Amino acid sequence: MNMMDLHKLYDAVLNGDAKTASAFTQEALKEGAAPLDLVTNYMVPAMDEVGRRFECEDYFVPELLLAARAMKAALEHIRPLLLASGAQPVGRVAIGTVKGDLHDIGKNLVASLLEGGGFEVIDLGADVSPEKFVEAIKTRDVNLVCLSALLTVTMGAMKTTIQALEDTGVRDQVKVLIGGAPVTEQFASEIGADGYGESATAAVALARKFSHA
Amino acid sequence: MPSWSGRNRVADALAHREPDRVPVDFGATPVTGIHVSVVAALRERFGLDRHPVKVTEPYQMLGEVEEDLKRALGCDVEPVPSRKTIFGFTNEGWKPWRTYQGQEVLVPRDFNFAIDAKGDTLVYPEGDVTVAPSARMPKDGYFFDAIVRQEPLDEDTLNVEDNLEEFDYVTAEDIAYFQRECARARATGRFVIANFGGTALGDIALVPAPFLKHPKGIRDIAEWYMSTSSRREYVYRIFARQVEIAVANLESLASRVRDNVDAVFLCGTDFGTQTGTFCSASTFSDLWLPHYKDMIDWIHGHTPWKVFKHSCGSVDRFIPLMIEAGFDILNPVQCSAANMSPEHLKAAYGEKIAFWGGGVDTQKTLPFGTPAEVREEVLRRCGVFAPGGGFVFNTIHNVQARTPVDNLIAMLDAVAEFNRGRIAA
Repeated sequence: MNMMDLHKLYDAVLNGDAKTASAFTQEALKEGAAPLDLVTNYMVPAMDEVGRRFECEDYFVPELLLAARAMKAALEHIRPLLLASGAQPVGRVAIGTVKGDLHDIGKNLVASLLEGGGFEVIDLGADVSPEKFVEAIKTRDVNLVCLSALLTVTMGAMKTTIQALEDTGVRDQVKVLIGGAPVTEQFASEIGADGYGESATAAVALARKFSHA
Repeated sequence: MPSWSGRNRVADALAHREPDRVPVDFGATPVTGIHVSVVAALRERFGLDRHPVKVTEPYQMLGEVEEDLKRALGCDVEPVPSRKTIFGFTNEGWKPWRTYQGQEVLVPRDFNFAIDAKGDTLVYPEGDVTVAPSARMPKDGYFFDAIVRQEPLDEDTLNVEDNLEEFDYVTAEDIAYFQRECARARATGRFVIANFGGTALGDIALVPAPFLKHPKGIRDIAEWYMSTSSRREYVYRIFARQVEIAVANLESLASRVRDNVDAVFLCGTDFGTQTGTFCSASTFSDLWLPHYKDMIDWIHGHTPWKVFKHSCGSVDRFIPLMIEAGFDILNPVQCSAANMSPEHLKAAYGEKIAFWGGGVDTQKTLPFGTPAEVREEVLRRCGVFAPGGGFVFNTIHNVQARTPVDNLIAMLDAVAEFNRGRIAA
């Protein structure tokens, strides 16, 4: 498979075409393409372009979701090979909507984009207790924790979660990013988070900054 | 001096004339209500009769704003609620229920629930415990959220009818209910806003269909959002058929309740996020606007009703399109979102659309601010929005659980202070 063909993988991710992204990846791998090359030179640049288009309001949430799904479909084939080769992810993220809150659209979007950006994502789901975040840090070699909340009544659980990281002695091992509709930069600094992502793409940019990627 | 009723106070404001005082809504729609815990706290503060409050909207756990509380709050708007709740059962046959916070409330007879292994509360569509539950309240939580029940999607057999199961022609029972309710509401002397149902186009709270026992079609939230981009024709056809049914229903209802209604709650689809919009303006123009226009043209052509649109978030760039579609009212006017400053909104659109909401921020000021901060914000908002009419006071969306009552009192006092200042001037 030549370079021209591989560009179709870039296009498939950019256009949110999961079927084509999956099929091309399988074909490319069969023909001997290097898994890391597919990720680094085609898929991550495609997701970067998706992020750029989102920032300049050419793409919106539906297109972000479609691109993230296409990226995921391609990664399904690549991830096992990367793991087997010992390739290290950009960073390891534990992400979840905090305790008491079931809203997960924003959290899922950030998780998908992080995955698309080369991070290993441990998605703890919604209504996640502080203990679960602590456990993920202790057992999964996590270096980033992303907390999401939509409700004013659950924002406090972000503080409780950070407190739990302090109390169990794991706070220094991770950077904590927070996001969600009622959350602000000021709130992030008040509760001792390391950063606040105003949008899904901003969250990924911050995650990269913290992982020096 | 004219004698002002709630009805003509709101009607004047919506006609962009300044009434005697700022009109107020609390509890007349599912997006201008008050959490049941706060309703109870307000009743206590005002010294009103102590009894378990009815949860009239069980998804967001909104409490009934009864006549005595309406008077205490100075409400000018009277609701005609939809006949069934979002869980598909009617609001009748009340029974006791205890919230996680220990509050004794009343819920409808068919509010049937189970507690799962985590301690979460699960409720069932139409109260039918033999099918899968359709919503969950996390343990110690305050609100329900839909449980997505998405059957595997097969692109080749995707059928628009599957996403239309919930849209049907009104029954004789529906008509009798609305006749009764509209007449009752009219008799209060307040401005009457009706929620007939079936007119919301792609409201994400309704897409998972927590009211259906076996939802088919596209019911997953992310899948729906993606479909507005990747399956646009499919979504267009859902909306087109939905509007055909909705207009037929509006015809049936208008012939019976025309003069007992002043406004309709048409659609609660959120187009805004905290920082931008969910889709491009051209997508809104292609996919939503023609359908809104069909419904609103019919309403404006055949009734005196004003048309209410709810959309959270930063929708600045969509407001001209909403005006073009014919909407008369925008809610909740989320001033905390990007490009939604009160000054900008009033100057840019204040003569063409009325703002119903925007009175005080519910993400920060009302739940977490001091009474002094609430007072200051309310006075400032009224000062911007009220001149020349086009403003109905409400918080930005429902008053959330755990909102301090002192802040609500500060809010009400500030509205009264603003009104006194205008009279004195």
